[in-house]
Amino acid sequence: MKKQNPSIPQPPCWADKLLSAVLPYYLFEELQGDMHEQFEIQVEEMGKTKARLLYGWEALKFCRPYFLKRRLSARADDLNNIYSLINPIMLSNYLKIAFRNLMRAKSYMFINISGLAVSLAACTLIILWIQDELQYDRFYSKTDRLYQVYNKDIFSGTPQTWDTTPRPLGPALKQDYAEIEETSRFRSTGLTLNVGDTKMNANGAFVDPSFLNLFDFSLISGNAQSVLAGNNGIVITEALAEKLFGTTLAVGKVVQINNKESFSVTGVLENLPRNSKFNYISYLLPYNYFVNLGWGSDAWESNNDYTYVLLKAHADETAVNQKIKSVTANHLQGIIEDVKNRQIYLHPASKWYLYSKQENGQLVEGRIVTVRLFGLIALFILLIAAVNFINLSTARSEKRAKEVGVRKVAGAQKLSLVLQFIGESVLLTFFAGIVAMLIVLLSLPMFNQLTGKTLSMNFTSLNFWLSALSVLLFTGLLAGAYPAFFLANFQPSKVLKGAVRSQRAAFTPRKILVVVQFTFAIVLIVSTLIISRQIDYAQNRDKGFNQNNLLFTDLPGDLASHFNALHQELMESGAVVSMSKSLGPISNINLRQWGVTWPGSTQSDKDIEFDRFGTDASFLKTTGTTLLAGREIDVRKYPTDSTAVMLNETAVKTMRLKNPVGTTIKFGNAEWHIVGVVKDFIYASPFDRINPALIEGPGGPISLGWISIRLNTTRPMADNLAILERVFTKYNPAYLFEYLFADESYKAKFADEQRTGTLTGLFTGLTIFIACLGLFGLAAYTAQQRTKEIGIRKVLGAPVLSVVQLLTKDFIRLLLIAFIIGAPIGWYIMEQWLQDYNYRIIIGIGIFIITLVSAILIVLISVSFQAIKAALINPVKSLKSE
Amino acid sequence: MGRPYLGEFEELVLLTVAVLEGGAYGVAIASELKKRTDRIISLSGVHIALYRLEEKGFVKSVLGGATNERGGRRKRLFNITALGKRTLDEMRDIRNELWTSIPKLSFS
Repeated sequence: MKKQNPSIPQPPCWADKLLSAVLPYYLFEELQGDMHEQFEIQVEEMGKTKARLLYGWEALKFCRPYFLKRRLSARADDLNNIYSLINPIMLSNYLKIAFRNLMRAKSYMFINISGLAVSLAACTLIILWIQDELQYDRFYSKTDRLYQVYNKDIFSGTPQTWDTTPRPLGPALKQDYAEIEETSRFRSTGLTLNVGDTKMNANGAFVDPSFLNLFDFSLISGNAQSVLAGNNGIVITEALAEKLFGTTLAVGKVVQINNKESFSVTGVLENLPRNSKFNYISYLLPYNYFVNLGWGSDAWESNNDYTYVLLKAHADETAVNQKIKSVTANHLQGIIEDVKNRQIYLHPASKWYLYSKQENGQLVEGRIVTVRLFGLIALFILLIAAVNFINLSTARSEKRAKEVGVRKVAGAQKLSLVLQFIGESVLLTFFAGIVAMLIVLLSLPMFNQLTGKTLSMNFTSLNFWLSALSVLLFTGLLAGAYPAFFLANFQPSKVLKGAVRSQRAAFTPRKILVVVQFTFAIVLIVSTLIISRQIDYAQNRDKGFNQNNLLFTDLPGDLASHFNALHQELMESGAVVSMSKSLGPISNINLRQWGVTWPGSTQSDKDIEFDRFGTDASFLKTTGTTLLAGREIDVRKYPTDSTAVMLNETAVKTMRLKNPVGTTIKFGNAEWHIVGVVKDFIYASPFDRINPALIEGPGGPISLGWISIRLNTTRPMADNLAILERVFTKYNPAYLFEYLFADESYKAKFADEQRTGTLTGLFTGLTIFIACLGLFGLAAYTAQQRTKEIGIRKVLGAPVLSVVQLLTKDFIRLLLIAFIIGAPIGWYIMEQWLQDYNYRIIIGIGIFIITLVSAILIVLISVSFQAIKAALINPVKSLKSE
Repeated sequence: MGRPYLGEFEELVLLTVAVLEGGAYGVAIASELKKRTDRIISLSGVHIALYRLEEKGFVKSVLGGATNERGGRRKRLFNITALGKRTLDEMRDIRNELWTSIPKLSFS
């Protein structure tokens, strides 16, 4: 810098800096000179201050595209800096060449774009699904402070953990521990709601007033603090309000519950989000009402309610756990025999959905495993499409070799070539991304149906676009990086001479990639087959009862007292073959009993869980179970049968009874005599072992509140149901007749597995499709490469078959390698999956044979088309060219 | 039409270059224009117009020698080319023709 005389006014320094930053270097001197000259004139004309101001203003006006653009391209012309990579002229040239190349090989473009598009679409669907799973029960504003209280204990050496807690626990925790801000008990229920003549059965819950403070579901009307405060207020959801009142403006209106108490609506909730564990609930009632009804008990040993806890901000989970762990044990001292292992602990809301599998009395990773698995599948699918891209690009590299040579001779640097080719692949990925978006839009409704979710693409959110952009960039880089370096490495001297036969070197990585691709496909095929086998296996399991035409209904209101009349009328109507009272549907777990004793039972036998069912008579005929010994309970014939009990096979085995019939057992402070043994029937998961079960007579402390009905198959089902509805309404006008079919509730037990099976099948199909596309392209390329060779072979007398063999042999060999790698991996993963099931298949050799045969078929189909086409070409044509 | 487009401001700048006869550079042109038109003339605008005129071939430029003025920075001197002169002539002819074709009536 020149020395400056301080007495001479100087233009503002920042303005000069600005000028040097925006002006093209070759114009800088003259422009700044002009500026300074003008400044000097202006200082004389209007003084220093104004001149400086005007100078600044003028400098700002130089910041316009005209100069900026020239500055950029001036720097880009200089090859020694980074700007040369984005020289606008070269960019437009790259784009032009990219389009010409794509247009020249349309089938290649089609294979690449469609493969990428399908895989991107599949990925998007999986990502949407994962996102939804990860949001489950984690969107409450206080999620990080919300917990559910769990119990744990050790029963005869087996650790157990469970989520139901004693009723007094919540209030006790809140009162005694400063770290706990709020608690709410929760008891779900199904009640009949009446408004005028409208009747409706709906699921809801009894909760403490603080519930809406813990879980901030938004209220359309009403105040979250006070809606549940009274004893006669009900909070209903929007949807229920619409159904009951035809409007969401329901506050102040009256709902009758079970035709008895009247509740006035104090608040209307927005429909609960589907990804909340409370999504099935449509109303909330004050917990106090439940207490006043006299249902349930205040005893510390009865665990029936859920307890939710809100910790104060900054309270430490582990510290709180340590403090509260023996709360229940202290209260149970003396009530149950052994409390030293009884503990309670907090399970954080963020883990409720994904980390709640019970294993050895601990809550461990559960659903998160599936989420991770699908994340992995998404990555695999993307990888397979990327492999296609890599294979086809390197295979076609010869076509671009001359271009690379010429560019290099003209002074292109390696970096600019690499960027050019990566740019091309990113560009292609973007096209694929647009197609993928369309595919996702079209398939989303179907996918939602399949997964039971309501996923959607949120086009208005910035995050959506950012993540879409990053997925596309990632894919483009994944697919484009290797080919780019491969191409950019060509030696101009060799390439331009025409000696580009670096074939051998290029083929080995390509082979590896094909093997990788097929390994994925084989793992997925094995998984799909095993999952569907396992589902079939469990579906074909002997249920032990007849699920067809069997329905269950509970006996609300006055029905129990009219049972005999109801029974008689239904039997006479001809709609019903047989019916009996029960504790609950025999296709579900209803009640569990501990502490059963029998002659010869030991101390540790008290911890064995028995499932309880009940009947008054005709159990066998109604349910279709089989009697193995003794007789069935029939209180009409034998009045003493009210304290009779039947066992299932497993129970007899567990109790080690030689002659069960006639033995007396004790549970629930009563003595029961065994009259018969029935064959095992499946009431829990069909994938699980069968537990010991008791079927008790009607004399127990818990009344038989359900009936099981076997319908008459000789009459139309609709008629039968109409008669049932008429008779039930006659005896119990206040309630809606609602029922449950045994076969439907049995089918529901498979829902999860079936969903996993369908999804895996779907993604396997996609993987195979994408891999086949790549193979097809590669086969086309190989066939084209060997056109001359094939021509000569044919001239020398090779038959078509041997030519086809020549072209497919290589691919089959690669497939076999992939099978050798993939089959054990698939076996291992599925063995892990099957370990969760007690009733499971043994993975046999058959599955692998099917996998191999179908994989070979798939390869043959996609390769042989090209091979046959090549083999059929007239050698005259293929040899004539050049 | 082979001739590139000439904007109104560009035309003014081109005329000024012709007027200043060899002494035309950014500041001189700007002050000349300020004197003659009553507009606010920005230096950057003048320069862009000059570079565009040069790209179109209406003016040519040379970097003048360094002087003691303006901190020793050189200035770019612009000269009108033959094409520039011809274009100006053409434009004036077209204008004149149009002017004479206006019926007198319209000025009443």
